Amino acid sequence: MNRKILIAFLFAAIPTFGADSQWVLQQSTLTYHVSHPLHQSEGVSHAAKGKGVCHAGQCEFLIAVPVKSFDSGDSNRDLHMIQVTRGAEFPLVTVRTRLPESDATASTINADLEIQFAGQTAQYKQVPFKLDKQGNEIHITGTIPATLVDFKIDPPSLLTMPVKNEIPVRIDLTWHQQ
Amino acid sequence: MLSNLWRSSVSGLFVVSLFGMLAPSLIAQTVGKGVLTGRVIDPSGGAVANASVTATSIESGQKQTASTGPDGTYKLELSEGNYRLTFEATGFKTFEISSATVSGTAPEVLDGKLERGEPINDSPALTQQENLPNAPSSSTTAPSLSDLGLSPEQTRGNPQEQALLDKRTHMLRIHQRVGLITTIPLVATVILGPGAGGKSEGTAVRDLHVALGAVTGDLYGITAFYAIRAPRIPGTKKRGPIKFHEAMAWIHGPGMILTPILGAMAFSQKNNGEKVHGIAQAHGPVAIVTAGAFGAALLSVSVKF
Repeated sequence: MNRKILIAFLFAAIPTFGADSQWVLQQSTLTYHVSHPLHQSEGVSHAAKGKGVCHAGQCEFLIAVPVKSFDSGDSNRDLHMIQVTRGAEFPLVTVRTRLPESDATASTINADLEIQFAGQTAQYKQVPFKLDKQGNEIHITGTIPATLVDFKIDPPSLLTMPVKNEIPVRIDLTWHQQ
Repeated sequence: MLSNLWRSSVSGLFVVSLFGMLAPSLIAQTVGKGVLTGRVIDPSGGAVANASVTATSIESGQKQTASTGPDGTYKLELSEGNYRLTFEATGFKTFEISSATVSGTAPEVLDGKLERGEPINDSPALTQQENLPNAPSSSTTAPSLSDLGLSPEQTRGNPQEQALLDKRTHMLRIHQRVGLITTIPLVATVILGPGAGGKSEGTAVRDLHVALGAVTGDLYGITAFYAIRAPRIPGTKKRGPIKFHEAMAWIHGPGMILTPILGAMAFSQKNNGEKVHGIAQAHGPVAIVTAGAFGAALLSVSVKF
């Protein structure tokens, strides 16, 4: 009798434990693109850290990347970018989003993002991302349509010509389910 | 007559050089002060009179306070730098802006919107974060920055470093603008070069060449001053076009010193009715190399090759 109760309890418990899962960011490439009348430039970071916690069918994700970790191949430009984005004062860019756990099986998702950057918070609605799930890993790619105005950043200028307001950020993330 | 011309040219050169020596300090005086202004309002948009606005220098900790007038406006004249602003008024919560940059170029306008209630002592950063809908503390399941393995040092801001970066950018912006302006008399001087020397016996072109050369030298001095005096950021390894830009400075820097010396020798020889000879003959080639290196330095950071 006790054995039956124990088995019944274990079966009842499995769905509950299975519902709570975690995702850890394994690999990341974030690339911002800046356009200037004289040239285009990109800065890349592989230093993002992220975690997703799923509970009751909803997953909450947090990604953080140090502003200083973006490398454009030009130390002078990187220092200017850190200055205009107030990267020493606000050293991290954080991205938060909440997704249904069922989205893990989809090939495309639309996510609402809340991004904190340069001491400001901006929200981006329904940003499309592509998903590629293989085993316990999900590969996510997409572009966040960020602008300088969203974060109250004065556009840096070169030869008195300012850069464009649009600074799209391409993301390429590999998440591992734990 | 030749000696008179020489005297007038030398005195002209002296005046222009004096301007060059004084110009950096004049510019520094002009950009040393800035204005911070704005309006303090209540939640309904009405003006808050007699509110206290305190600017605290992030670098030195010095404070300066102003009160708002009947229309809610305030004005603070401050030295250039970064400030923390505190807005206080009876019956309102204290409002803070963690960082505001004052520069000499244009007045900084910062408005303060006060909420009714007792003053609170929380830092603005914390207040802002707590109000976020999905801030880590607002949910038991949402991951926090500490969950990501980030240390407090990595998440904490450094206002001193930001102030250093702001100063660096400000100085390099002047460096860039004056450098651009320098190219105008530089090009004009080089163009007038052949007419000033060689077989020409006329003195008008030569005098203009000398005057433009002096202006070029002075502007170059200002340009160099702002590059050399711009603060270095510790722990930064130089990469990319800036290395070439700085390498070119080792050519055009000595060239800008050598060119006028050789030019003065050539000028003296010509005014004595002699043919330019000896080391003075190198004036033209040295000037060309100097101008070329200056142009290459400018292009290296402007255009992506």
